[in-house]
Amino acid sequence: MAPSLRCMKKSCIAMILAGGQGSRLYALTRKVAKPSMPFGGKYRIIDFPLSNCANSGIDTVGVLTQYRPLRLNSYIGSGQAWDMDTSDGGVFILPPYVSSGETGSWFSGTANAIYQNIGFIEMYDPDDVLILSGDHVYKMDYSLMLREHREHKADCTIAVLQVSMEDAPRFGIMNLGADGCIAEFEEKPKHPKSDLASMGIYVFKWETLRKYLMEDEADPESQKDFGKNIIPKMLSGGARLWPYHFDGYWRDVGTITSLWDANMDMLSTELINLYDPDWPILSNWPPRPPQYIGPMASVTHSIVTEGCSIEGLVENSVLSDSTTVAPGAQVSYSVLMPGAVVEEGAVVEYAIIGENTVLHKGAHVGAPPDGTDAWGVATCGPDIEIHAGARVPAGAMIYSGQEV
Amino acid sequence: MPDYHGIIFAYNTSRQLGALVRQRTSSSLPFCCRYRLIDFPLSSLSNAGIHDVGVIMQRDYQSLLDHLGSGKEWDDSRRKGGLRMLPPFGLPEYHTGAYAGTMEALNAVASYIHSIPQSNLVLMRGYVAANIDIAAAVASHEASHLPITAICARNPAEPLNYQFLPEADGSSQRMVRSQSPEINGLWSLEAYIIRKDLLLSMMRTCQEDNKVHFHSDALFDYLRSGGRVNLYVHESYACVITSDENYFRANMDMLDAQSRASVFPPHLPLRTKIHEEVSTYYGETAKVQNCLIADGCRIEGELEHCLIFSGVHIEPQVRLQNCIVMRGAVIHGGAQLQNVVLDKYSEVSATTVLRGSDKFPFVLPKSSKI
Repeated sequence: MAPSLRCMKKSCIAMILAGGQGSRLYALTRKVAKPSMPFGGKYRIIDFPLSNCANSGIDTVGVLTQYRPLRLNSYIGSGQAWDMDTSDGGVFILPPYVSSGETGSWFSGTANAIYQNIGFIEMYDPDDVLILSGDHVYKMDYSLMLREHREHKADCTIAVLQVSMEDAPRFGIMNLGADGCIAEFEEKPKHPKSDLASMGIYVFKWETLRKYLMEDEADPESQKDFGKNIIPKMLSGGARLWPYHFDGYWRDVGTITSLWDANMDMLSTELINLYDPDWPILSNWPPRPPQYIGPMASVTHSIVTEGCSIEGLVENSVLSDSTTVAPGAQVSYSVLMPGAVVEEGAVVEYAIIGENTVLHKGAHVGAPPDGTDAWGVATCGPDIEIHAGARVPAGAMIYSGQEV
Repeated sequence: MPDYHGIIFAYNTSRQLGALVRQRTSSSLPFCCRYRLIDFPLSSLSNAGIHDVGVIMQRDYQSLLDHLGSGKEWDDSRRKGGLRMLPPFGLPEYHTGAYAGTMEALNAVASYIHSIPQSNLVLMRGYVAANIDIAAAVASHEASHLPITAICARNPAEPLNYQFLPEADGSSQRMVRSQSPEINGLWSLEAYIIRKDLLLSMMRTCQEDNKVHFHSDALFDYLRSGGRVNLYVHESYACVITSDENYFRANMDMLDAQSRASVFPPHLPLRTKIHEEVSTYYGETAKVQNCLIADGCRIEGELEHCLIFSGVHIEPQVRLQNCIVMRGAVIHGGAQLQNVVLDKYSEVSATTVLRGSDKFPFVLPKSSKI
């Protein structure tokens, strides 16, 4: 690294993996990466790790993008919304790129994404690097995790969450040794030996991580993944891995059901308190006029955001900015993303409606749970029109190109 | 718009606004759930690409400074030019009172006006609720080849002080000081586009003749000596905020769909300082009808025909009718209020019953507890 490129030394910088395609959210993520999906009325999912960084005093963040990055780039902008437009740090969008003499390639795995940006990390000469995922909803003080990492002189500290034994097979499970260190890591074990799940949040001593990244890159058998390759190699190589126990709210919103569930969680301040002035989740929206609630409207147990115009019935729902619910329309147990329109007499229940999608008069999307396995939350992708009187059944997933 | 420079007059405070302006100027009055009145001229200028703007202020400008910051919300934070705050400087030592008029205010910052590199100025008041299309006004100004254009309203929400009598070509040589609608004039919104050399000569004459006013001194003199004013008509909503009565009324007007649409056209966004807020939560017991509500509130009571600013908590069993509730206020269960303006961070106890009238809204000052 040329000395002229060196910036002020940072003790810790963060790298957010935001390339996720979110294939199980297909209708919603065809055009945008999962981290830039609207969430919880006022947010996009990447607001959570970015705000956690800002609140934890980490002012240098690399955001690794590759899938549909346009929306994410324009949303993050200068990073000013998270107070990260500082003179010696900031938010940097890091797409895959081609160096001279190389043939270009996508990031082949999470570890490869970091490997390809070793140059960026070395500009800041950090002691530790925080690796985050761009698609989790949680509030966490990374400075506490970093302190524990340093106190225990760990090579890597992994945030872990206690889950129920029946949920454990869905996660990467950490088994601890007698000294409290991580002794074994099992990815989605059929017969889990512990209930400590990895949250996909890592602090690495940079010197150690750099060595393992170089070795892993040279291994043709490797999938270049943190969970599958780097962590097992560190364990077998005798590195010191420490678990950081976290007991707050944390959700991976990788499926339609989990996305819908996590949105519904925002209706309660008991699960995750977004009103806490000491730990604000910051977002970057242009200001809109206040929300208008009409003379015949009814809005109960719901969150509604500026720019909305509500003249119908809204209950148990999460409405992002600039949505319209016309007179006689009904929205219940649903999520409306920014700019969605529900015209007169249309009904939305147990559904997720994508950005700027229009439900014409009398359309009916979704249905209440009927106890069968076939039931599911109905999903309409962004920028589509559901014809007047059309019926979208429970569990359906509609996106542009399909006729409804 | 490289050859235009904005000047916003934010120095005056109308006494008839009473408790609302105890700690702020008219221009920093909160408006329509999330804005301040000065957002109107700042956004109008910004939307026309005018980012060099001087704001003339004189006293009680703490809340104004806090709101404006570096001007970045209006894209006015610039390496060169940008937003400039103009508190008094270069005033004679004996001058301690408020500016008696616009020309005096301009002369108080004369060195700034002289240093403006652009050859045209857009003069605007900081307390006019109107989303004016300045780019269209500038186009009209340039087509007229006249040195001054008056931005007028055909149907303001309330009568204004001056009217221009238009001639067939849309210009005027006659201004009348009258609030009578029978004159059939176009009402001055006290916003002007003026050539810098004309303004400087008006400032010089007023200084020499010890005159202080823009309309009754400088502009009347200009018209009397054969000058002509181009008229640009702002067709949509306009209300000049000068009293607690019309402050109340202009806010309530925003509940009307047509007025609201004309104040918030999609191509002329009203920009403002962004407060970090979550979405508003409506509880199981909420009953909300015909209201405008900002983000960050917790609404559990009954509201009818109200404007609610951000961070307000309305508990169950509260009844509000025709009220304006500013940022951070808390209203405890059982309170009943009608035609009341609650200033920021006020708190109303459970047993309170308050009733104003629409002509005389009851105003609870900032941070009051009752």
